[in-house]
Amino acid sequence: MENVLIVENLTIAFGQLLAVNSLSIEVREGEILGIIGPNGSGKTTLLNGISGLYKPKSGSVIFKDIDITDFSPSRRCRLGIGRTYQVPRTFEKMTVYENVLVGGVYGASLSEKKARYKVYEILELTGLLHKKDLFAGSLALLDRKRLEVARALATNPQLLLLDEVAAGLTEAEVNEVLRIVKYIKESGVTIIWIEHILRTMMEAADRVLCIASGKKLICGNPKEVLAAEEVQEVYLGVEEG
Amino acid sequence: MGKECVTIVINDIRNYKWFIITGLIAVLLTIPFWASNYTVSIFLLIFMYLALAQMWNLLAGYAGLVSLGQQMFIGLGGYTLAVLTELYRAPLWSSILIGGVISLIFALIISAPIFRMREAYFTIGTWLVAEALKIFFSNWGYVRYGQGFFITAAYQLTTTHMYYMAMVIGLGSVAVVYIILRSRLGLGLMAIRDNETAAESMGVEVFKAKLICFLIGAFVTSIAGSIFYLYQVFIQPYAAFGIDWTVAMVFIVIIGGIGTIEGPLAGVVIYVLLRQYLYNYAGISMLVLGLIAIVLIHVAPKGFIGTLQEKLGFEFLSPRRR
Ligand SMILES: Nc1ncnc2c1ncn2[C@@H]1O[C@H](COP(=O)(O)OP(=O)(O)O)[C@@H](O)[C@H]1O
Ligand SMILES: [Mg+2]
Repeated sequence: MENVLIVENLTIAFGQLLAVNSLSIEVREGEILGIIGPNGSGKTTLLNGISGLYKPKSGSVIFKDIDITDFSPSRRCRLGIGRTYQVPRTFEKMTVYENVLVGGVYGASLSEKKARYKVYEILELTGLLHKKDLFAGSLALLDRKRLEVARALATNPQLLLLDEVAAGLTEAEVNEVLRIVKYIKESGVTIIWIEHILRTMMEAADRVLCIASGKKLICGNPKEVLAAEEVQEVYLGVEEG
Repeated sequence: MGKECVTIVINDIRNYKWFIITGLIAVLLTIPFWASNYTVSIFLLIFMYLALAQMWNLLAGYAGLVSLGQQMFIGLGGYTLAVLTELYRAPLWSSILIGGVISLIFALIISAPIFRMREAYFTIGTWLVAEALKIFFSNWGYVRYGQGFFITAAYQLTTTHMYYMAMVIGLGSVAVVYIILRSRLGLGLMAIRDNETAAESMGVEVFKAKLICFLIGAFVTSIAGSIFYLYQVFIQPYAAFGIDWTVAMVFIVIIGGIGTIEGPLAGVVIYVLLRQYLYNYAGISMLVLGLIAIVLIHVAPKGFIGTLQEKLGFEFLSPRRR
């Protein structure tokens, strides 16, 4: 299978701290790559490096054979990289419909008229259709997370970056998110899914990457990774300590 | 019961929106025929400040560009008018238009360095550019140093002429902002207003959107400035490039409701009327305006209209999509 995304020796620094430390990953077309790791291990920072929010200190990001290391987030989005935020950053004074429309009009470069069908479809899929005229600022957490996914989908991504979309949700809500993610995968979108809850990841991911302190610990099929000694160590060490 | 009544009234207003707007414009058109000169001049001021405030709101309320240097475009507009008509006897209309174009080009030139500055630095940067222009103009022999110009070409205009010019720029500015907000650019601007980072990562070209707003703001502010100096007849660098202009814009937008089209409409009426009443207390008028702004920011930080919209969920000139 072809690689949609190649991250080469990426290093992202905040002052002295190397939040992502010479990390390399390859993401294959059509797969779900799960990323796990303790809090503060650099998962979100890695994702920000891929979506262009943070400029790397060194290393490169290659998307569909194009070196996008110097591209703005906006350009990366229009090229086909969509993302969600761990802490939702929805457009509070815009309606749910308008939030998603932004993705269609800008990210997918559609006219407002053409984007309309797509937006309705996505609202239906993410279970937001009956709330389309509510202000995003009035939504509860689950709906905000749904809206994050819906907006990203509207940009027509080939690669979708999900940052803890299931965190903070109830069991039933997590299953709902899982259903949506699986559906997105079926439609041919490659997905990088960061999640802290291991069970969710197990069910959906084709491969799992575990990082700690900004470095790759292990990468492989989910069962292998979870069973690995070093993974057990960082997780138990941090979680129960 | 009360709430239901409000809802019914609101729906009525919504259904008859364009009817109401047309009616209002018709009434405004007739004002010079029956109102006193004083009333006409009040409306004139309202229209001119409305244009300035709408533009400042477009920048600060939507594009995230808090400029304290909008007076640079008023000065450039006013001075272009004065120089072209006084020194070259150029026609009024083209002088005003050329002023707008000069402001636009000036905005484009300074945008390169000034857009690199973020937030507070941008704000201070714009103010410094305006101050530099003020000093430059008061030391420039070609524009008669600090002494200034009488714009004698304006003597041929009556208050009625002035009223209609102000009306066009005032209501025109509302129309411009409304059309922008309903367009593709407007969708991006609202996203930028709510969350710039998220907008950027959803494909919105934030820099481009901001630049377009800055240029439109420069052009319209300049035209409004020219019209103001046509009315005032006399221009000097210290007033023309003074920060008082932008202070007024900020006041109007903040008390009316930032990031809404209707906010500046309400704010400008309050501002102009207050200023008229406080006219005899020149020393404390700024103090009173400042106090009002501070109290309002604490009681209703979203301004008059912003608070009303939140309570009633009603936007008269709504840019909403469905
Ligand atoms: N904007 C920032 N400025 C400074 N330090 C940051 C910033 N973002 C993240 N960090 C630091 O980088 C490290 C990795 O953070 P993050 O990528 O958010 O971890 P994760 O998503 O795995 O929980 C943490 O130590 C965090 O404190
Ligand atoms: Mg994180």
